[in-house]
Amino acid sequence: MAAKIRQPGWYRALAFSILGVLVCLGLSTGLRAAFSVDPVYDGTSVLQISLLMVPLFFLGGIGCFDYWLRWASGRTVVDDHADHGAKSWRDYFKVNTDHKVIGIQYICVSFFFMFIGGLMAMLVRAELASPGRQFVDPNTYNGVFSIHATLLIFLFVIPVFAGIANYVLPLMIGAPDMAFPRLNALSFWMLPVAGTMMLLSFLAPGGSFAAGWTAYAPLSVDAPIGQAFFTIAVQFAGASSIATALNFLVTIITMRAPGMTFFRMPLLVWANFSTSLLVVIATPFIAASQFMVLLDRALGFNFFNPANGGDILMYQHVFWFYSHPAVYIMLLPGFGIISEVLATRARKPVFGYRMMAFSLLAIVLLGFTVWAHHMFVSGMSDWIRIPMMITTAIIAIPTGIKIFSWVATLWRGVIKMDTPMLWAVGFISMFTLGGISGVMLAMVPLDIHVSDTYFIVAHIHYVLFGGSMFTIMAGIYFWFPKMTGRMYNERLGKIHFWLTFVFFNVTFAPMHLIGVQGMPRRVSDYADQFATWNMIISISSFILGFASLIFLYNMIVSWRSGPKAGSNPWNSLTIEWQVSSPPPIFNFDSIPSVVGGPYEYGVPGAVHAILDQPAETPVAAGVGAASEEN
Amino acid sequence: MTGQSHRGAVTAKNWIALLAIIVVASAIGIAFMLALNWFPEQGSNVAPMIDTFWDVLVIVSVPIFVAVTTMLLFSVWRWRQKPGEEDLDGPPIHGSTKLEVIWTIIPTIVIAALTTYAAILLVDIQAAPAKGTRVVNVNGVQFAWDFETETPAGPVKSGRLYLPINEPVKFNVRSKDVIHDFWVPAFRLKVDAVPGITTTYNLTPTKLGTFDVVCAELCGLGHAYMRQTVTVLTAERYATVMAGLARASGAKPPAGGAAADVAGEKLFVSGNPATGATACGACHALKAAGTTAATGPNLDEMLTKDDAAAIMEMIVDPNKEIVPGYSKGIMPANYATTLTKAELAALVKYIDQSVHGKG
Amino acid sequence: MEAASIPTPAAHEDHHHGPPTANQSSRVNSEVLGILLFIISEIMLFGAFFAAYFFIRVVNSDAWPPGDGLPVAVAAINAAILLSSSVTMHWTDVSAKRGNDMAMRVGIVTTFLLGCTFLFIQINEYLHLGFTPETSASASVFFGLTGLHGAHVVIGLLLLWMSAVRIFKGKVGPNNHRGLEVPGIYWHFVDAMWIVVFTTIYVL
Repeated sequence: MAAKIRQPGWYRALAFSILGVLVCLGLSTGLRAAFSVDPVYDGTSVLQISLLMVPLFFLGGIGCFDYWLRWASGRTVVDDHADHGAKSWRDYFKVNTDHKVIGIQYICVSFFFMFIGGLMAMLVRAELASPGRQFVDPNTYNGVFSIHATLLIFLFVIPVFAGIANYVLPLMIGAPDMAFPRLNALSFWMLPVAGTMMLLSFLAPGGSFAAGWTAYAPLSVDAPIGQAFFTIAVQFAGASSIATALNFLVTIITMRAPGMTFFRMPLLVWANFSTSLLVVIATPFIAASQFMVLLDRALGFNFFNPANGGDILMYQHVFWFYSHPAVYIMLLPGFGIISEVLATRARKPVFGYRMMAFSLLAIVLLGFTVWAHHMFVSGMSDWIRIPMMITTAIIAIPTGIKIFSWVATLWRGVIKMDTPMLWAVGFISMFTLGGISGVMLAMVPLDIHVSDTYFIVAHIHYVLFGGSMFTIMAGIYFWFPKMTGRMYNERLGKIHFWLTFVFFNVTFAPMHLIGVQGMPRRVSDYADQFATWNMIISISSFILGFASLIFLYNMIVSWRSGPKAGSNPWNSLTIEWQVSSPPPIFNFDSIPSVVGGPYEYGVPGAVHAILDQPAETPVAAGVGAASEEN
Repeated sequence: MTGQSHRGAVTAKNWIALLAIIVVASAIGIAFMLALNWFPEQGSNVAPMIDTFWDVLVIVSVPIFVAVTTMLLFSVWRWRQKPGEEDLDGPPIHGSTKLEVIWTIIPTIVIAALTTYAAILLVDIQAAPAKGTRVVNVNGVQFAWDFETETPAGPVKSGRLYLPINEPVKFNVRSKDVIHDFWVPAFRLKVDAVPGITTTYNLTPTKLGTFDVVCAELCGLGHAYMRQTVTVLTAERYATVMAGLARASGAKPPAGGAAADVAGEKLFVSGNPATGATACGACHALKAAGTTAATGPNLDEMLTKDDAAAIMEMIVDPNKEIVPGYSKGIMPANYATTLTKAELAALVKYIDQSVHGKG
Repeated sequence: MEAASIPTPAAHEDHHHGPPTANQSSRVNSEVLGILLFIISEIMLFGAFFAAYFFIRVVNSDAWPPGDGLPVAVAAINAAILLSSSVTMHWTDVSAKRGNDMAMRVGIVTTFLLGCTFLFIQINEYLHLGFTPETSASASVFFGLTGLHGAHVVIGLLLLWMSAVRIFKGKVGPNNHRGLEVPGIYWHFVDAMWIVVFTTIYVL
C-alpha cells in the first residue's frame, strides 16, 4: 500500500487530495485566526480554497508534475519514455505522454461529458414538454440548463476537437509527438477535474450554479455557493485549453517534417493553427472575468457592484471578448475536419486551398472585432452597435468562401457517400442555415426583437450541433479506423446520421418560430400559446437523444470486434494514413519527407510524403491499392 | 486519373435544370416562409418596420440556402461513386480565381446592402423622442416589474402598465437587483434593465388591447414567472384609469375598514394582477389554499411559531431573514407598494389563520 | 479493448529505443517560442484587468485614485528595483552562456533577492494604504491589477528559485542554459508589465 501511495497514480491522487483538503482547512482557519476573523471556521471559505487547491494536489498525485519537480530540484532526469504509449487499457487511466494516448483520453472523456450534458438536455426538454411544472423546480431547472451548456461547451466541443487534433495532427505534419508531451498530459488531466467540479456543484448547498453558462454578474455574484464551482472549474478548463493551444502552435511551427511548408499543410493543421491562436489570445479573458466574479464573491471586491462604482456591463464586455471567439474555437477545427473528409471521399483537391487557409485567418482576425453583437440590448453605448453589426456581417464573407469552396470540391468528384461523408455534407447544409440566422441576428433591429429568445437557442444549436457536432461525428467516423485499427459498422453509422439529421431539424427548426413569436429562452415555464410546438420539440429531442445511443453502441462494439481496417481504408494521401493503424508507438521510424501538396487527388503520380518504411499501401496518388471498405 | 470522361462535365441542359430547380425551390421556400405566422400581433409603430425587415431578410436568405443545398444534392447525385469506380479520382481542379472572386464579391454586396438597410432602420427606431413625450419608469426587481408613469401631478405607480394609444412613450428602464430585460413582444423592442444605469427606448403603441410583458434576461429562480401585461387604452379610458391609480397611490384608503371585504385567499392564490402583486401560492405551499409550489419555503411548516406581526414583516421585507436552504432576493420585495394596507392585512390574517388552524 | 493496444514493431526494436528526432522546422527554439506564446496569453489576462480599469475609471468615472492618494514614490522605487533585477537577470543569462560560473551564481541570487524585496515592499504598501478592495470599485481595480502582478512576481520567483537550484547543482552552463533562459524571459515580462501597471495605476 505504502509503495502504491509513493507511485504516481490513483492511490496517490486520492491520498494527495485528502491531504489537500486538510491543507486548505488549515490555511483557511489559520488565516482567519491570524486576522482574528470570527468564526475561525467557515465552511464557505474552506470550500472555495479547496476548489482552487485540491485539483492541484490531485494532479500532483496522479503524476502530472513528477518529471518537472525532479528537473526543478536539479536532479538528473532521463526520459526513458516509460510513460509513452499504452500497452493495455489500464494505461489510458494513467498520466501518459503519447499524443495518441492523450488523444484517445481526450475523446473518451469529452464524450463522457457529452452524454451527461445530453441527459441534461433531455431533462430540460422533459420539463418544457408542457407549460407549468413537470419534474424539476425552477432552481434545479436553471441549474440543469446551465450545466448542459457549460459541459457541452467547455467539456465537449472544445476538448473533443483538441483530442482529435492531438491524435492526428502530429502524424499529419510528420512529428514524432507534440512539442511538450508532459504539458499535453497536464492539459488533459485538467479536464476531468473541471468536469467533475461542475457536476459536483449539484451537491452544493443552495443547488448547482444556475446563472447560465454566461454567468452574468451580478446574478452570479449574489448566487449561492454552487456558482463558485463554475467560476473555478472554468479556470481549469481554460488553463487546459491554453496549454493545448500553445502546444499545437509550437508543434506546428517547430516540428513540421522537412518539405512540409505552410502551404503543404493539410487544412486540419491550418484550422488548428488558427484555433490555437484564438485560444491563446482570447481565453485569458474568460479566466479574468471569472476571477473578478470570484473576487467579488469571496473577498468583497466591487468590480460589479454599481453601488460602489462597479460596472456591470464590463463583465459582458470581458466575457464576450473571449466567448465570441470561443464560437470559432468550436468551429474552425471542424472546418478542418470537413476539408479532410471531403477531399478524400470526393477524390478531389480541396477547391481553392489557399483561400481556405486565408479565410481561416480572416475569421481569426475578425473574430476579435465582433464581441459586442451579443450585447445589442445590454444597455451599452449605442454607437458601438453599427460598427459591430458591420464587422459581424463581414464574417459571413470568409465563411461563405469556405462553404462555396466545399461545394466546389464535391463538384465533379467521385463521391463515396459513406458515414463520414454524410456528416460532412449534412454539416455544410445545416451550417449554412446556422450562418444565415447568424447574419440575421447581426442585424441590430431584428436582434433587438429576437435576442434572448428561442430564436437564439435555435441559432446556436444550428451552429454548434448542426455545425460543430456534425463535424465531430464526421471526424470520429473518419479517423476511427486509424485510432482503433478497426472499421465501424457502416449501416449503424448511416442510421445514426439519418436519425440525427431528421430529428435535429424537427427539434431545432421550430425554435426559430416560437422565438420570433415571443418565447424567451432560459425559462422553466412559458405561455400556453407555445405548448404545441414545445411538445413536438420535446418528443423529437428524445429521438435525437436515442440516436446517440446507436453511435455509442457502434463505437464500443466496433472497437472491440469490428473488422480490421488496414492502414489506409480511405486511400488518403495525408501522412497519418501512411503508417499502420493504430500507428506505431513513436509514429515513425524516421521522419518522412514531404514533397507535394496534401490533396493531389487525380494528379497522375502525385505524392504528398515519402516514408522510409512504407506501410501496406503505396503512397502515390491515383493508383491507390484495392479499396478495403466492406 | 484519366478515363473518367464518361462522368463528364455539366451540360448546358444540366445548368438550365439546376437553375430552374433553384428558382422554383426558392420561390416555394420564400412563399412558405412568408406565409408562416412568425410575429405576434403588431402593437407599436416599430412593429411593421421590423416585420418588413424580416421579410426582406427571408427573401434574401432562402435563395442562398436553396442554392447551396441544391448544388450539394446535385453533386452527390450526379457524381456518386458507381460500381467499378472505386479506384477513380476526380479531375484535379485546384481552384478558380474567377469563381473565388465572384463568390467573394456577391456576398459582400448583399452584406453591404443589408447592413445599410439595418443601419437606417436602427436610426429610425431609436430616434430621440420629442420633448414632452410621456415617460414611464420601468423598474425590474426579482421577480416582478413595477411601473411609474410620470404625470404633471407627480408619478403614478402601478403594477400593470397602462398606455394610451397613438401617443409616443419613453421607457426609462432600471433594475434594483440583477439584470432583467424589459420586453413587450408585440412592440418588438427590448432592453436590459441594468442595476446602476438607466436604459431607454421609445415607441408609439398603435393597437388597443392587452399584451404580454416578458423578462428576457435570466434573472434567477423566478425568471420564467416574471410575466406581466401592458394594456393599451383609448385616450379617454387612459385618463380615467390613471386618475383612479393616482387616487389609490395618493390617498390610501382607511386601514381596517375595508379589510373584511378583501378575500385573503384570493390574494394568496392569484395575487393582484392589476398592480403586479405576484401570487404567494405560485411559490409557497399552503395546505389551506391547496398550493404545493416549492420555490419558497412551505408556509405550514415555516410559520408555526410566527404571529401576525411577524408574518407581515416577512411579506413586506422578505430579505430581512432567510430560511436556511433558500436564497436571498428570490421573493419580490414590492408587496408594500403592490398591495394596499387593507389587502396586506387581509392576506396576513388569512395566512395566520390557515397556518394556526384558527379558521 | 485489445484493439487499442499498440502493436510492437518487433523488427525495429533493437535499433530504436525512442522516437526519431523531430525535424526542426523553425529557427526559433521550441521552449523559447512556448514561453513567448504563454506571455501573449498573460498579456491578455492583464488586458482583461486593464479593461476593468478602463470601464471603472474612464467609462464609469469612479473616483480615482482610491483612498487619499497612492504612494507613487514607493511604487517608483519598486519599479527601479524590478528594472535593476531585469538587468541582473540579463547578466546572469549572459554569464551562463559565457560559462562564467561565479557571475551566474551571484546574478541569480541578486535577481531573486531583488524580486523578494519588491514583493516585501508591495505587501507593506498594501497594509498602509488605508483602503481595502471593499472600499470602492477603484480600490478593487487597484488591488486587482497590482495583486495580479504580485501573483506573477511570485510565479517568477518560483521559476527563479528552480533556476537557482539547478545552477547551484551545476546543471546550468554554456551548453545547457535553456532552463535559465526561459525563466529569464518570463522575469523580463513580469518586470515590463510592472512598468505598464505602474504607469496606469500610479502615474496617470
